[in-house]
Amino acid sequence: MKKRNDPVTVDRMRYIKNKFSSNLCYLALLFDVFFFVLLYRQDRSTYYYSILIGASILYNLVFLLAGFLASEGVKTYNEKFSYLLIVLGAIQFIRIFIYPMRAHTTTIQISGVDQIVMSTSVFLRCVVYLVLSGVCCLVSAFVGLQRSRTLKAYMATLGEEKRRD
Amino acid sequence: MANLTLEHLDKIYDNKVQAVYDFNLDVKDGELIVFVGPSGCGKSTTLRMVAGLEDISSGKLLLDGKDITTMPAKDRDMAMVFQNYALYGHMTVYENMAFSLTLRKEDPNVIHKKVLAAAEILNLTTQLNKKPSQLSGGQRQRVAMGRAIVRTPKVFLFDEPLSNLDAKLRGSTRREILLLHKRLKATMLYVTHDQTEALTLADRIVCMSMGHVQQVGTPLELYDNPANLFVASFIGLPPMNFFDVKVCGDLLQGDGFSVGLDDVQKRTLAAHQGKVIVLGVRPEDFVEGGDIPVKVMTNENLGMNTLVHGHVSDDQGNHDRITCKFRGWCNYRNGDIAKVAAKRMHFFDKETTVAIKEGN
Repeated sequence: MKKRNDPVTVDRMRYIKNKFSSNLCYLALLFDVFFFVLLYRQDRSTYYYSILIGASILYNLVFLLAGFLASEGVKTYNEKFSYLLIVLGAIQFIRIFIYPMRAHTTTIQISGVDQIVMSTSVFLRCVVYLVLSGVCCLVSAFVGLQRSRTLKAYMATLGEEKRRD
Repeated sequence: MANLTLEHLDKIYDNKVQAVYDFNLDVKDGELIVFVGPSGCGKSTTLRMVAGLEDISSGKLLLDGKDITTMPAKDRDMAMVFQNYALYGHMTVYENMAFSLTLRKEDPNVIHKKVLAAAEILNLTTQLNKKPSQLSGGQRQRVAMGRAIVRTPKVFLFDEPLSNLDAKLRGSTRREILLLHKRLKATMLYVTHDQTEALTLADRIVCMSMGHVQQVGTPLELYDNPANLFVASFIGLPPMNFFDVKVCGDLLQGDGFSVGLDDVQKRTLAAHQGKVIVLGVRPEDFVEGGDIPVKVMTNENLGMNTLVHGHVSDDQGNHDRITCKFRGWCNYRNGDIAKVAAKRMHFFDKETTVAIKEGN
């Protein structure tokens, strides 16, 4: 088993991109896509939906864009994008309580019958997708952060930071 | 150690066109062999047969005594550098160089060490994070060489690697290849149509024409003792001058000139008395102040040398074109008569085109 901090492995980081973090980030985007496809397939034609769907669509666009930028950023060991990924990951967890949770606990009347806006099975799948997306973001962020700090320290010892920039 | 033996190699394509005829060569370990010849002479085909990219129609190919005639290219332990670099545009220099080893699933840290060592040799260390599109032609070719070096193959194969480079870059990259060969001491086969590359790089040159090997020898052997008219005309720049001359006792009688023979030359041409032979004189073997009258057509001053193009004519209007290369700066004008002498001559049989040597 190779040590993460052995000099050759760290030196390799000067030339090898952080594909692990980058790919995890793409995975997070994929899970988010699964989440919103599942969500938008629900057609309850309610006021509740029409208001929040708009906000949700906007946020998903922002998430996809920011996630893509972050994946490119962490690929090149840019610490700032790791922080961005932490924020995005945290928001994915918070989203559980905003959308699927509230939809799941809200009932509407259809043909005089009370029905839950989001069924339990859909709710659970939405939660799973959001959790997976959030976990991917956070793992990607922390791995990226750890690697970029290691590389930064190594570069400092080499006195080559300027050249790399 | 990598001794390569090519025994009676033939290449016949499906359409029955034969590209290579009975190619025989014994390449010693650490030798740099250059295949040289005009386009279509079969030099690249031969190299591709050695690489395993072309099937060998007949004959044997041995690497360190082991028959590899039918062995797939990937198992031959040879690395090839192409004219067009063949780099992956979406990968960095580092990734390009590491790619073949990554495919072999070698340890990443071992790959890293090999790539850095190769980059150091080729002076590419500061370029490792760049993409090929950000590099000059010479640097790209060095990356292609680096990709070959990291594999530490038994034999390096170069297929006209400098042809895509401009003249200046070609010169510097050529010197780098020479240094690389000295440093790695590896067996190398190098294909080129440029005789300057062949003369400067090769330990031995294989001169080819129409699929046949014309001569194998050191650069000096090919320059000083060409085996036939083809080699004489192909090696040397500007090319050798040729004149049809009749051997008349102590003289060679040409159109509008005659040249005296010394004792050695007389002995060499003893069997050709009274016959017409081909006299070859290299432009640099002409000196000013002799008996051959050259009517000057153009005078090209190159700084260190002057190229004088003209012709020698007889009374019947027959004339032979002639190019002389004189040391220093000359100022001949069109129509001037320059008197020249040949300080060194080569003789060829007019019918067989083979060089006439003493004793044959």
